[in-house]
Amino acid sequence: MAAKGKGSCKVSLLFRFSVFSFCYSLVTAGQTYQRKLSVQLNPGFHSPPGGDLLHVRAVGENDTLHYLFCSQGAPTLLLVHTNTSSSTLKVNWTQFLDRNVSGGLEVEPKSSVLYSTAIVFSKLLEYDDFNDTAQPSSTFFPLYDLQNFNWSRLNLSGSTSLLCGTEGTLGNGSLCLQLSVFDVEGRGEAWPRLLHTANSSQLELWLDGVSPRSNHSRFLLELLAVGGAYTPSHVEIHRSIDDEFTPSMFSVSRWVPELNGSHQVPGFFQWKPVAYRQPHPVLEDATSCHHSDPLPQSGETAAAMSGLIRAFYTEPEVFGLNVSFGLAGDPFYNSTRFLSWTLLAGVGSPPMDSISPLVISMMAVGLGVPLVFVLLGSVYVCTRKTVVTTPYQPIN
Amino acid sequence: MSGYEGEASSGPTPAPRRADKPLPAICDPNHLLHRVVVLVFMCFLGFGSYFCFDNPASLQTQVIKDLDQNTAGFMQLYAWYSWPNVVLCFFGGFLLDRVFGIRLGTIIFSLFVCVGQVIFATGALVNRFWLCEVGRFVFGIGGESLAVAQNTYAVNWFKGKELNLVFGLQLSMARLGSTVNMNIMGWVYSKVADLVGSPGHFTLGISLMIAGVTCLFSLFCALVLGFLDKRAERILHKEEGKTGEVVKLTDVKDFPFPLWLIFIICVGYYVAIFPFIGLGQVFFIEKFNFSPAEARAVNSIVYIISAPASPVLGFLVDKTGRNVIWVLIAVVTTLAAHMMLAFTFWNPWIAMSVLGASYSLLACALWPMVAFVVPEHQLGTAYGFMQSIQNLGLALISMVAGTILDTRGYLLLEVFFCTCVCIALMAVVSLYFVDYLRGGDLNRSASSRASLLKEAEESKRRQSQVTEVDSAKLTPMSAFGLRNRYLSRLGAQLPHHCSTHLSSLAHRSVLK
Repeated sequence: MAAKGKGSCKVSLLFRFSVFSFCYSLVTAGQTYQRKLSVQLNPGFHSPPGGDLLHVRAVGENDTLHYLFCSQGAPTLLLVHTNTSSSTLKVNWTQFLDRNVSGGLEVEPKSSVLYSTAIVFSKLLEYDDFNDTAQPSSTFFPLYDLQNFNWSRLNLSGSTSLLCGTEGTLGNGSLCLQLSVFDVEGRGEAWPRLLHTANSSQLELWLDGVSPRSNHSRFLLELLAVGGAYTPSHVEIHRSIDDEFTPSMFSVSRWVPELNGSHQVPGFFQWKPVAYRQPHPVLEDATSCHHSDPLPQSGETAAAMSGLIRAFYTEPEVFGLNVSFGLAGDPFYNSTRFLSWTLLAGVGSPPMDSISPLVISMMAVGLGVPLVFVLLGSVYVCTRKTVVTTPYQPIN
Repeated sequence: MSGYEGEASSGPTPAPRRADKPLPAICDPNHLLHRVVVLVFMCFLGFGSYFCFDNPASLQTQVIKDLDQNTAGFMQLYAWYSWPNVVLCFFGGFLLDRVFGIRLGTIIFSLFVCVGQVIFATGALVNRFWLCEVGRFVFGIGGESLAVAQNTYAVNWFKGKELNLVFGLQLSMARLGSTVNMNIMGWVYSKVADLVGSPGHFTLGISLMIAGVTCLFSLFCALVLGFLDKRAERILHKEEGKTGEVVKLTDVKDFPFPLWLIFIICVGYYVAIFPFIGLGQVFFIEKFNFSPAEARAVNSIVYIISAPASPVLGFLVDKTGRNVIWVLIAVVTTLAAHMMLAFTFWNPWIAMSVLGASYSLLACALWPMVAFVVPEHQLGTAYGFMQSIQNLGLALISMVAGTILDTRGYLLLEVFFCTCVCIALMAVVSLYFVDYLRGGDLNRSASSRASLLKEAEESKRRQSQVTEVDSAKLTPMSAFGLRNRYLSRLGAQLPHHCSTHLSSLAHRSVLK
């Protein structure tokens, strides 16, 4: 690409820029990395009590990604990245269901594991924001512990699976989680239209029809990030000029491990700070969300809460944060009784939105055509000037 | 000029000039001081309509509460003003040229403005929202056409003199009107509420009636202007300069090409300003993390800058001429400002200030150009048409912009606005070359314009002589002419402008 750019140095800069970007998008589209997905529900067991275990194996050329999604206890997504395309999952169902000791679930060969991380949806908090400050320090209602929910069976369709949970005090409402695992690069169809790669999966969470305990209720979600070696421990906020795919959102939050030196990011959780108050939202239904700083949590609590953490990690390292939905002045949950939020979980460096070819071509044409006008105009004027005109002399 | 005509008295006899006693400067239509007086009335002519146009915005919460409306209903008050004006101000301009004439037209449109505001206020008084909408509609019929009349008046009085400055001043008056309104109406409402006892639709009606006083004031200005214009016409014999041509609706299709380019610039430019400001507040909050108050402030800086900047820039354009170059500068800086907002996180105060300055510059330099490309009898129609398509563009692009924002976000919206400005830029570049090749007036420097004006007056003088001679050939000879001819054939010495055989020799081909 660079060689080509050098070769065509006579083309105008602008033109080259647009050509470059088109070539770039073509090249990236051509080289899209593809994984082979295989989905398995409760491998080696038929409908275990207390919740399903979903295993999605995403096999690449020389690595494998294992996605494990489980509702034994609080809903948990575990990602295991191995450096061979033949690694397998081994579940000891008695140990796994007992949830007493670790080792109930392993990825073999153990030495092939490059990186693993998990995210636990541990608690849902509700507070009465009577003064509309959206500061969740005020009056909290008793929290919803997600490990005590009644979780439905996993509803599979292709590589997406749906999990819904209910609880007495939620009324007729439910908290649902939908996991989508991807084999190629792409973009979500519904807002926030997060960009994903073959190395990531998307979790959409929504809170539908819950009866709030006050007219001014707002919600918070507690998330725990669990890891062995590199635990996601801090959230970076990346600002971007590009809000083409998520209108009026100019930043991305990334929960990544703290790295010394210039190591590549091994894994990430990424979201845009926006939630939507309607299932099919328009721009007015967008509501901002805010996260607290991640704080270290007890590994034992996390392991007790989630069967998957207990079974996979011996000494889990845990960081937790709260995501609060709504800013001061935004409508309360009661107005639509719906709230959805989307999170991307993956390994490797997080995908970044780039300015779309549409924008680049619009700017290139917009700036290019007046330039062409100027050039053509001056050339025409110059040629007119050089042509010797015989001025007409009136005879008298 | 008139002295010359006085001698050659074969044409229609002009009124004898009252040159016997010189007028004091302030009363002499040729003098700058008199023009300043006219300018004051001209500026306040539009004040009432600009003041009252934004009454609903300044009393938004009160209107919504007292008349029991939601925001959509409230926006209707503006829709009833804007949409009819997509066609109405074209016809307003045409009527101005063809039927009413500038003086009567201005008075009629001012009356419409007054009556509209009274109906609007009455609607609030009796709490009938439909009546409010009718009032806004009537107000709209007058308001935009009054702006056309204001432009035409400005050209009539100031072409070749301080025209750009006058357009700048009119813009700053418009901004002043809406700023004063924004800051004072809330106060007026609360005072009225104190007097009446409680806020409510009655209070709102009274407040709007009080606001209507500004319209009465504008009507007064229209009457004074009408008087002054009539008087100036009498003194300066403006009638004689008229060609007697009348504008036809079909003249629109024969508008000169540079005028169409000016229209494109107007639409392409303004659609990237007003709809953006309308949607800007949330953009500053979301992208630059501004507080709502800060976002409002940065959003209104464009208008705040334009009030003092436009007369200054207008003066600058007057002194230098070269309107096309100034328009080009304005369009390019606007493009730069929009690109800054779209592609960087730089402090938006910079971009918005640049936008404010370039917006004022464009208003000063663009609108006067119309006067250079259309003949005087089409001026009202041209300005009306320009305003109409500007309104149409704004209405359509506002909707398009809303849709783009809702589906594709602010980056694409900004890129869209950049594209609109780029279209304006293409038109400016074309205008420059077209004007250059045609040897037009648009891009002349002020000094060459001045010498051209002098030349034009000179040639006009000469031409009037020629036309008289021509007409002398075509019309049956008067007794005076016949006698002269006879005398000259006899060989009597005559002053040579009376000698017909000399003129007939000069135009030999006609005799053949």
